[in-house]
Amino acid sequence: MPKKDHYVIIGNGPAGNSAADAFRANDKDARVTIISDEAFSFFYRHKLPQFVAGNIGEDDLKVRPYSVYKEQNIRLRLGQCVDRIDPEEKILYLRHMEKVGYTKLVIATGGSPRILPSLTSFEKHLRFMTGYNNAIKLMPEIQKAKTITILGGDLISFELVKALRTMKKKIFFIFYSKCFWPVELTGNMSAKICANMKKKNIEAYADDTVETLTEKGNLYTLKTASGRTFKSDLVCCFLGLVPNIGYIIGSGIDTERGVLVNEFMQTNYKDIYACGDCAQIYDPKLKDYWISIGWSNAGLQGKIAAMNLLGSSKVVKPLPKSIRDVVGIKIQTSWWDHF
Amino acid sequence: MADVDIVIEICGSAGDGTISSGEILSRFMSSQGFEIMSFDSYPSEIRGFGKCVAHSRISNKKVLSPGKYTDILIALNNAHAISQLHTLRETGIVIFDNKPPNYLEEDQSIAGWIEPGMISYGIPLLNLSQKASGSARGRNMVALGALAAIFGIDGEQMKSAIHARYAKKNKVVIDSNINSFAEGFTWAQQHVTKVDSYTFGHSKPKPSKEKKAIINGNQAVAQAAIDSGLHLYAGYPITPATKIMEIVSRELPKKGGVMVQTEDEISAIGHVIGAGYAGKRAMTATSGPGFCLMSELANLAVMAEVPAVLVNSQRGGPSTGLPTRNEQSDLNIALFGGSGDSPRIVLAPTSVNECYTCTTLAFYLAEKYQTLVIILLDFFLSNSIRNITTPVPPKANQLNSNVAPTKTALKDYKRYKLTKNGISPRAIPGTPGGMCISTGLEHSEHGHPRYDRNTHPAMTEKRFNKIQGALSEAPKPRWVGPKKNVDIGVIAWGSTAGSAHEAVLNARKEGINVAFMSTVILSPFPVKEIKKFSEACSRILVPELNYTGQFANVLSPHLSRSIERLNMVTGLPISAEDILEKIRDMAR
Ligand SMILES: Cc1cc2nc3c(=O)[nH]c(=O)nc-3n(C[C@H](O)[C@H](O)[C@H](O)COP(=O)(O)OP(=O)(O)OC[C@H]3O[C@@H](n4cnc5c(N)ncnc54)[C@H](O)[C@@H]3O)c2cc1C
Repeated sequence: MPKKDHYVIIGNGPAGNSAADAFRANDKDARVTIISDEAFSFFYRHKLPQFVAGNIGEDDLKVRPYSVYKEQNIRLRLGQCVDRIDPEEKILYLRHMEKVGYTKLVIATGGSPRILPSLTSFEKHLRFMTGYNNAIKLMPEIQKAKTITILGGDLISFELVKALRTMKKKIFFIFYSKCFWPVELTGNMSAKICANMKKKNIEAYADDTVETLTEKGNLYTLKTASGRTFKSDLVCCFLGLVPNIGYIIGSGIDTERGVLVNEFMQTNYKDIYACGDCAQIYDPKLKDYWISIGWSNAGLQGKIAAMNLLGSSKVVKPLPKSIRDVVGIKIQTSWWDHF
Repeated sequence: MADVDIVIEICGSAGDGTISSGEILSRFMSSQGFEIMSFDSYPSEIRGFGKCVAHSRISNKKVLSPGKYTDILIALNNAHAISQLHTLRETGIVIFDNKPPNYLEEDQSIAGWIEPGMISYGIPLLNLSQKASGSARGRNMVALGALAAIFGIDGEQMKSAIHARYAKKNKVVIDSNINSFAEGFTWAQQHVTKVDSYTFGHSKPKPSKEKKAIINGNQAVAQAAIDSGLHLYAGYPITPATKIMEIVSRELPKKGGVMVQTEDEISAIGHVIGAGYAGKRAMTATSGPGFCLMSELANLAVMAEVPAVLVNSQRGGPSTGLPTRNEQSDLNIALFGGSGDSPRIVLAPTSVNECYTCTTLAFYLAEKYQTLVIILLDFFLSNSIRNITTPVPPKANQLNSNVAPTKTALKDYKRYKLTKNGISPRAIPGTPGGMCISTGLEHSEHGHPRYDRNTHPAMTEKRFNKIQGALSEAPKPRWVGPKKNVDIGVIAWGSTAGSAHEAVLNARKEGINVAFMSTVILSPFPVKEIKKFSEACSRILVPELNYTGQFANVLSPHLSRSIERLNMVTGLPISAEDILEKIRDMAR
């Protein structure tokens, strides 16, 4: 009997899940496996701010129950990190010292926190919230903290502020408006945002940068270029996401800022496709690459990647832009869904 | 105080220190005031092969059964632990070695088998063990350390418990165990993000003032036998009874007694009957195949009216069967094995506590009623570790229950005198005037062989009648629940009783009208009490670990009614969940 095909997807976000669903819908026999380093089910990332604030529970985060995977015969391996890919041998090396072979591979490992070069030396003092693993660590710290400093340079930071206000925390917001993510703030938007935040009793300061950040007895002292000093119990950093590809570099799979794929989501290896936030996608019209962002884009691309791996040749296009409300200001976002 | 009821399994290969780490955990948690029910299963083969599992249920409530589902599985060996995953709860936790020396294939790594919903904590067991002790030996202690850190167990106090466990060993052994534990503890504290909700931390019970002993069924039997004035132990090793012999061989000589390892089981029971005949308390312990061998000679104790205590720890059969698996399938041979009408006393403890009390009772009854007393244990009970209130040794008056002849009786001494209660006063050989004939042939009151038409009926009746007295000296059957208008009555015996009791308590919480009865004495049979219970119940369920429903078959003629059965022969103890499921089915 010929050995069954094994379609492996690294990543349990919208891209990974829609790829798995598409594999199963089009091939009833193959083994389909999702591997994710988060020990939690497929969940709505945009709900993380409300989750860490304790306003919603774990069940509210979940997109779907585990039973769906059983029903669809999709193997879901959670809390397991892929350390290395060998595209020649078609083997994944997992951190807990296991080898997993594949016949077709979808890379859907999303994004990791963006850290500006000026902040890298303080990284150990910063808290992030891009996934379940760091959210669950952050949660008790947030519950305990009375004062929180937020280095805010993305849409997520506003969502967290919204959630923290329900907890009556004292918030310092240092607003990185110049490198805002995933949109560029135009005109006097940042000034308006700051003003509106102040109205809501949040100390917000635009375009200041961190000079020093020290910790003593769980109290963080942050000094800025403009000479301000903030003392807080926690410093959270939200400056957007960058494609999560560290473990791929050196494998032979082409990467730049993200995993380089053509308009069909294919990498330089015929059986390896990438999609979602980790992908850097070629646009033949632009003759350039674009980085995918946002929930719905990821879902769409996952499906296309899987279909193309099975023989289709669908071209991926980004979804239309949408409008988002940020503390009363309407912002046009690039593919960032408004839930 | 939050309820804690957590089942932990440590699973490894023989030689991984699985059982010893389980023992340390159980003892320590017991010292912290938790209720413990532990159970080890291991291969019949020696080191280097086979799967070992140390199973511990740890609770701050009373526990009656081992628990069917595991909450936390510690994998010291991937292949064995994979085969144990079927018992892990859907939300269970796996602690495993995430840094084995080589990459494992997908089907060989336990991580490859973990279902979503379960949580795995990878700990570099081997690396930390090598760092702490220079060898792989400390992996079990590293795992215990990680367990303690993740689940809120006091690391410092547990270190003392490990120290105490190895106190008699040299410093290198003590240090490597303690250091391995500390490495695991610190590593987990620093690296593990806890994403589960199991904890012992907030729920430490108040330490009880009662003195607790943490022992298994075999230890309880051995201790009780010694406390009951055991003089001679004769036996031939066989799983799961060997441990009794091991303990006795170590402890009995200190009390002036004798342990003989005989050439086979027939010789063992022969020694016991010989010593009993000579007026000494004697015992043997065996399991199924050995019990079969003994059954012929054991009948001599019945016929010649010689005290003999025979422990049979049941395992899966027939023949060599399943040496390290559990079954309750020797009831028939215990009750009826042997030639002729052969009445004997059969006691089946239902808990570790009762392993002690039944053994002391067995010596008392054997001597008083001058007959064979069989104690039926099983693999689970033999190996089940409980923290029990330290047993009270028998009082002086229980240490000699022989009904001796009066001086007048010795003038014309009739060894087998027909009396009202069937007990013929017994002169120990050497008693002046007490000379007599003892034989396996049917005999007259003086002991002379007799085959006439009157002697055998009279003597048979005497032998049956005399043991009836044991009914009033054994504990009364235990009745839990309402005394009338019960929908479902569950009657259980042996180690199954704990699970049945727990199932009934849980079913009652669900609103099912159910009651429970168990009996320790199986022969003579406590007909009156069991009949009364049966009359109070609309339906009767008997759960037991044998294929044919041996106990149900014994009950049936007494109760003259249909009995529903739950028979399992999986080799595993029957669980409260299995019985509860059956009760729910019946109640639907
Ligand atoms: C707090 C927050 C709020 C957001 N709000 C919005 C919003 O309002 N609107 C919107 O459109 N978008 C929002 N996003 C972005 C959106 O969630 C992402 O664009 C989307 O989830 C990307 O999907 P993906 O499948 O590409 O990757 P992800 O959803 O990021 O999933 C990546 C998966 O890869 C796994 N992984 C990564 N590395 C490895 C490895 N080495 N081994 C194994 N597994 C690995 C991760 O565990 C994860 O399961 C938000 C994101 C965050 C963090």
